[in-house]
This record gives sequence, C-alpha cells and structure tokens, in this order.
Amino acid sequence: MIILIDGQEVKASSGETILSAARRAGIHIPTLCYHENFAGQGQGRCRLCLVEVEYQGVKRIVTSCTYPITAQIKVRTSSLRIEQMRKNIVMLLYKQAPASSLLQSMYCEYGCQENLLQDNPGEKCILCNLCVLACEEMGSSAISLIMRGTDKKVATPYDEAAQTCLGCAACAAICPTQAIEVMERDGVRIIWNKEFKLLNCKHCGQPFATEEQINFVDSKGNYSDMLHYCQNCRQKMAARRIKDFR
Amino acid sequence: MMQNKHNDGRQVLVCCGTGCLASGSKQVFEAFKSQLESVEGVEALVSTKATGCNGWCEQGPLVKILPDDITYCLVKPGDVSTIIQKTILEHEIVEKLLYRDPLSKKRIKSHHELNFYRKQKKVALRNIGEIDPASISDYMEREGYQALNKAFSMLPRDIINEVIKSGLRGRGGGGFPTGLKWMNCFEQEASRRYIICNGDEGDPGAFMDRSIMEGDPHTIIEGMLICALAVGASAGYIYVRDEYSLAVENLARAIQDARDRSLLGRNIMGRDFAFDIEIVRGGGAFVCGEETALIASIEGNVGEPRDKYYFPSEKGLWGCPTVINNVETWANIPVIIGQGAEQFASVGTENSKGTKVFSLVGKVVNTGLVEVPMGTTLREVIFEIGGGILRGRKFKAVQTGGPSGGCIPAELLDLELDFDSLAAAGSMMGSGGLIVMDERTCMVEVARYYLNFLAGESCGKCVPCREGIRHMLEILSRICEGKGRSGDLELLENLAETVQEVSLCGLGKTAPNPVLSTLRYFREEYLAHIEDHLCPAGICRDLTRFSIDPIKCTGCGLCKKSCPADCIIGESKAVHSIDSTKCIKCGSCVDSCRFDAVVINQEVGK
Amino acid sequence: MAEDAIHAEGEIRTIIQAYPPEKRFILAVMQDIQKTYNYLPRQALLSIADYTGEPFSRVYSIATFYKAFSLIPKGRYNIKVCDGTACHIKNSSVLIDQIYSSLAIRPGETTPDGMFSLETVNCLGACAIAPVMMVNETVHPKVSSSGILEIIKGYREGADDAE
Repeated sequence: MIILIDGQEVKASSGETILSAARRAGIHIPTLCYHENFAGQGQGRCRLCLVEVEYQGVKRIVTSCTYPITAQIKVRTSSLRIEQMRKNIVMLLYKQAPASSLLQSMYCEYGCQENLLQDNPGEKCILCNLCVLACEEMGSSAISLIMRGTDKKVATPYDEAAQTCLGCAACAAICPTQAIEVMERDGVRIIWNKEFKLLNCKHCGQPFATEEQINFVDSKGNYSDMLHYCQNCRQKMAARRIKDFR
Repeated sequence: MMQNKHNDGRQVLVCCGTGCLASGSKQVFEAFKSQLESVEGVEALVSTKATGCNGWCEQGPLVKILPDDITYCLVKPGDVSTIIQKTILEHEIVEKLLYRDPLSKKRIKSHHELNFYRKQKKVALRNIGEIDPASISDYMEREGYQALNKAFSMLPRDIINEVIKSGLRGRGGGGFPTGLKWMNCFEQEASRRYIICNGDEGDPGAFMDRSIMEGDPHTIIEGMLICALAVGASAGYIYVRDEYSLAVENLARAIQDARDRSLLGRNIMGRDFAFDIEIVRGGGAFVCGEETALIASIEGNVGEPRDKYYFPSEKGLWGCPTVINNVETWANIPVIIGQGAEQFASVGTENSKGTKVFSLVGKVVNTGLVEVPMGTTLREVIFEIGGGILRGRKFKAVQTGGPSGGCIPAELLDLELDFDSLAAAGSMMGSGGLIVMDERTCMVEVARYYLNFLAGESCGKCVPCREGIRHMLEILSRICEGKGRSGDLELLENLAETVQEVSLCGLGKTAPNPVLSTLRYFREEYLAHIEDHLCPAGICRDLTRFSIDPIKCTGCGLCKKSCPADCIIGESKAVHSIDSTKCIKCGSCVDSCRFDAVVINQEVGK
Repeated sequence: MAEDAIHAEGEIRTIIQAYPPEKRFILAVMQDIQKTYNYLPRQALLSIADYTGEPFSRVYSIATFYKAFSLIPKGRYNIKVCDGTACHIKNSSVLIDQIYSSLAIRPGETTPDGMFSLETVNCLGACAIAPVMMVNETVHPKVSSSGILEIIKGYREGADDAE
C-alpha cells in the first residue's frame, strides 16, 4: 500500500513499521534503541522516534519503530509537539547518562536548557538493550537486563564472569554511547569481569579475537583456516583471491 | 459428617474473608463446627459455612444466622456456645452481639437494615458472604451455571451482541466496552484464541477482585466459559496476584470441582465444547496488571509491556486473538446472559451501565466493599453508606482510581460515580478504590506516596516513565522535607506532560495524575510546603510541630498514655506539654485528645 | 549457605521437574522454590536454565524482575508492613520507623541473627483493618505505633507464628 510520510508517497507492506518504510525511502527519523540488525524488533524503549499519524481525521503520536502500517495513513516526522517531546526525552536521557558524549552533543543539538534535576554522574548507559540483543544474536546470551525501574541495568548473572561470554565485544561495538568497558593490554581482554586471552592474527600478528570466540565460531561450522586471520587480513586475502581468479 | 438440609435447616454463615480472618473468624468457624456436632439432634438441621467477605470488615468477625436473618458482630470464639444455646436452640437473639447504631443507640438485628447494606445493589458480589466458595453446589443453588446453559442455546454472535447491548465496560480501570472487545476477537481470522482473567489487582487500597476470587470463584469460571463459547477459545488463564494465596487455593478447588462435573475440560455439559483453565500466579509486579505485560508474564518473560498498536483481541497471548478482562467484569457476565442485557442496562447511567464494586477505605466510619449502581454520588457512598468521616473530622478529599487516578475535593462530592464523570474531574474510575481522606492527610505527601509506589513498580523499559517518575518523585520528596524550591511546580508540570504523552503504557501515562489533580485542587498546600515550610495537615515530619494548647488542655493524660515516644510531660489534671526534641510526629496524641488541645504548627502560650 | 544449596540439589530438581520444561513455567517453578527455601538459591536458577533450555542470564533476569523472589534468604520471621494507601494514611510509615528503632533494620534488610527481615508490601487487600502487618502467614490488624513494639517482643520471645 501507499502511505504519505512528510508529504512523500512511500510504498509499504502491511504490518511493516513506519520506521522501516521511512528508512527505505531515505526519510530520517532519529532513533537510539533501534538497530538495523534487529530491524524486525523495534523496541520502543527510547521513544525518540516519535511521529504523528493521521488516519480518518484522527491524529496520534506514536513510536515509528513499533507502529505497524495497516492502512493508508499520513505521517509527519516532525511537528512542534514532537520536537518538544524529543527535546524532553533527550534531556531525561542526558540526566540519566551525562557522561556519554553522544548525549552531551544531543543535549546541545536539541536545545535543552539547564535545569536543576539530578543526574547520575559518570553513567553512560541509556538502557537501550541493544547489547543484550547483540549478545543473543551471537548465541551467548551472557548479559541481560536485570531488575526494574531505576534499578534496571545490564549485567551478567550475579555480576560475575559469565560462562557463556566469549569476549567478542559485540555488545561494546553496538552500544550507541560506548558504555561498555573493554580493557585490552598485553594480549589480554577484560570485559564484563572476565579475562580473555587474545589470539594473534596468523598474518599480521595483531591480537584480534579471543580464543573462546574463535572456538565458538569454529564449532558452528566448517570455516577452515580463515578464522585465524583478523578482519583486515581476511579482506586483503579475499581481494587477492578474486584478483588471482581473474 | 453433618447433614445438609438447606430447605428446612438453618445455616450459620461465618465470614472468612481476609478482614474477618485477621480478626480471628477461623477460630469462630471451628468453634461452631465442633460445638454443633456435639449437640444432639441439631447436627442434622444446622449447617455451618465459611463464606467470603461480607464487605463490612470493621465489625468482623461477622456471623449470620439464616433464615432468621440475624447478624452478629465482633464475635469471639467464646461467644459461640452462647449463640448456639440461645439462638440455635432457644430461637432467641443475643442482644449484646448485635450491631449498635452509634447515633440512635439502637441494636440492629440484621445487616439488611443497615444503610451500609440497604443502599447497595449486589450484582458482582451477589453470592459473596452467602455461599461457601468451596462448594459448587452452593453456587449452583443460586442459579450457578444456568447462564452457561442458556448460552449453549444461543449463537456465538448473539451472545456477544447481548454483552454489547448490556453496555458493560471493563471494571479493571480501562472502561473499554467489553462486548466490543469480544466481537473484535471473534472477528479475527485465527485457529486459536485465548481467554484471560486479570486477577493481578494491584491498586493499593483495592480488594474487590480478591473478594470475588476468594468468595465466589465459580462466577469467574462461568463468565470465562460463556466468552470461550462465544468467541471460540479452548484455553483460559486466570492470572492471580502472588500475594493472594487464599484466592489461588479457592480458584484451584473450584476449577477441579467444575472439571469433576463436566463444566470444564472436554464435552462440557455433554456438548461438543472443550475449554479448560490454568491458574498463573503473578510474581509481585504491579505492572503485570497491564494487559500486555500480563501476557508477557504468562509467556514466561519479564512483565514488560509493549506498545498497544495491536489490541490483545487482535494479537495477544502467543500472538493469538485474546480476550482479557478483569475479575469483576467476568463476575457480571453470568448475570447479563442469565437475566438479559436489558435488565442489566436498566441500572446505571447512560454511558456506564450496571453496578460497580468500590473499596471504601481510609478515614471513613464504615470501611469495606460496597457495590452500588453507577451514578451513585460520592456523597451517598461516603456519608450514607460509609457513615461519614471517622472521629467526626472534616472530609478533605477522596482518592479514586489508585495510582492512576486523582483526588476529588469536597466541592465535588455530588459527583456521580461513573467512568466519564470521574475522568472529567481529572481522576478516573480505576479498579474502584475510594480512599477517603480527612484534614489529617497531606495531599502533597499523597502525591509523593503514589509516585514512590510507581517508581518501585515501573518496569523501567521506557525513558519517560522510568526517568520522568524518578525526577518527579525527587522533587516531591524535597518538597515534603521542606527543601522545595521556586520553579519546582512548573518543573513538575512540565515533566508530567512528557510522562503522560510519551510513556509506552498505562502505568507511565497515568502516573502524573495524582500530582496533577492535587495541584489542581490543593495548590495552596504545595505552596505552604515550599514557601512557608509548613505542612498544614501535620504529616510531613520536618514541617510539623505538635504542641498542646494550655487553654484547652484538661490534663486528662490520654495523650501521654498514647505516646509511643514518651515525649509528653504533665501531671494529672495539669496542663501537659510535648518535648519536641523527642517527638516522632506520629500524631497519636492528636488522635487521642478529646478536647482538640493538640494543635499543629501553632504558637501556644505558656 | 553454599552447602545447603548443594544438599538441596536433588530436592530442587524434584520441584523443577514437576513442571514441563518450558519457559512459561519458570515463574511457577520460582514461586515453589521461593516458598520452600525462602529465597532462590543460585543452584536453583542454574537448574532451571538447564531444564528449560533458557539462557542463565534470562532466568536471572526473571528472578530479579519480580519482587516475589529474593536472592538472599529472608528472616525466620518475615515482617511485611503494608504500605497500601489505606494503611499509609493510617501511618504505616510510623510502624516502619518503630521496627527500625526496635530491630535496626530497614525495608529489604534482615537482622544479623537471621531472625527478622522487613519488607513493605503494596497492598494486602485488607484495607478495612488498616494499618496491617503480616509476620509470615499471620495477619495483624489495626497495628498501633505502640502495639507494634509488643508484637515484635512477642516474636522475639519465641512466640509461635501459627497462633
């Protein structure tokens, strides 16, 4: 079906989210807890992706990452009200995680004003849950969101080194606010209270992945030798093979 | 085992609802059972039943004798032999156990004569206090399962239309037209549908669902069966709050009894219809009262809600069309189908049909469960049924709708209790909690209390609820501690708007209501806290000082006796005084003084 | 504590296996374990993960989300002071202060000797007899600020909680 987003005609399939349709059409809607790796699982946690939906004369403000298109709606990605709400969300997020440079710049970008609300000094996590989803995707599920309300946080069970943690740091990579600490030194990586020995690339000798990570991927299928090379070298080798093939 | 001849026998009904149980009614019940057994000739004629809550918890343990229609109050185990001797055997009334009207000083023989009961109309609560919830026969003797029988002779669409015609709206707080919900579920194309009973009654101060689940479990089962027949579902779940262990027990027994009589399971009533119910115990999370969070919980996840852009009747439990209704809603269904929609809709207001069960609690004389037609005014409920304010104090406000609702002040006492009127006044019906407050309740503290409750219950998924409530709570706590700043109220109102507009679920969306409604009607109280650093009600400890007025004090010493902190000094018949360095601000002295001599935040002469 | 958990492993397994190995029964299993041991031992959570095939982190997430569960044992006498609205406006917070002055514990804490633990609950559904306090399964109605000290003294002196 055809819907309108900011006056533009966009083709959408029934049940598809507004955000998905908008992205395809190149229309920008700000997000924080959304990632294209989990396109089908819009979370609705950060509420930043608010849009106005009009249908049969009724207007509603909804989160575009979870709202399914089931009729020919008219969508506006911005309005005075939406901007006001987004500004407040950013303000609340900044107060929650003032140490995040992303939120610091968003604070200015959205024109948030100084206020005396309390903040959490040193905090960077905005509880977007993307790290948990990434870890699930990897097959480890070493971390999860625990507790509830303002006690909610991302953690391993009992805050201990998780048995299933591979040290792959996919969580840290996907985190929009760099809230996950990864320490690397002398061929050792420490993440989520667990120490990992880093393997060196067979070609360039740089440490690139943990032993556990490589073993895990290895166990999933026949990946041959390629596993023991870092991303850069693997790309170069693949490129060379293609060149040789020609 | 005692014989049970209901027709010519008498019945001793001992109330075993939570309130009476807490006052020792179980011992009263056991005393009746054992003592009646040993009286010759009587055992064949008298049956003793433990019933659910009669709603009049102030006067419990309650014992009713039928068919004499006698109601005995505050019964102790020691009174049982007297009752058996005088009332059962000699057919005489034990005067001292009757309720004594505080105004007329007359003894009242039956609860039916009391305003507390006379003005009520029991529909959802029709069986509670009259039957033994553990007996399916009791239920069936009062037209139990006859509505289901009738439903079998109706077409599914006709059953649903009957519910639509009745005008029944959800009794859990949402007030959504029940029939429309059923129709929506029915019209989905699906091979599987589910029925859910939301028994996760979480509003503090509300216990109507508890009473129904404990006192009349079969009405819920019958309601769900009728719906399952109508929309085409084969499995149902009753989600019961973790803390309600007696409800779980009684529901489980009722379900088993129903199965034994082919009322659940396969070939129900000998027809080609199968339906069964499973009980799911909640885990102690108020948010699980929200439909989508409840569904998530049943599925084995944490109770995080989802955006409700699809209704559960379209995509609910495991993605299937699901009808989820509140306990009290289910309790009305057998009545609607049994008596017909027209009869049901003849009671109530234009847009709110039928009756509503309210839990009338707080600073009111008669506390308990009250079922009245929609449209009854607050004044009638609080003053005529409730008997007015305790200790003759002044009515200040009544909080309706729990943490999602708001406070209604004295000038609105003639407000009709129905969905739309309450919403227009800035509150809501909610599950039916009516918390009556007097001049010794601080409205700012009430707002803080509700936000504190919600802060602990927020699932934490979305930003506006999790963070917005936290900030609002911080501001209110500061105000209650005397650290309010100018600009605080504007900040509160600004945050409230975001939390209302942007929160993912009902918990967040309605969280600002108590703050907004108290700001609307009691703004001066907020200002007293912020600008004058005083709590007019004498509740906020840092802003309260109790002192004794030497002119009014008679030296009776009652305050001194009641003080748990030993901070009142004074000789008998001499003026007493309070040592404010030791005072814990509990207010027991204010409550105990009969001369209004204990004053709040006033300068008193020596 | 760790020894108790190991001893009970067989017992824990019996409780868990009473249910089908599906995610949706995790809540019920945890209820039963909480009731039996007064808390959820770590071993139990691992066994649940193992039995249902759910990740340990997800089981832990469920255990910490729901307030019915505790990861640390509760006291022999678990005091629940109701802070529902009706009880609150009848000064339940004074009762909480009184408990502190008598036992030196705040909500969520347990006395060092393991005798008493305190929690506030949202509403016990007994609003007509506010303020309400439960000690284990016993309901105490209309508790006054001086009466509460007597009640605690009674339990301290070894009063039977099933009167």
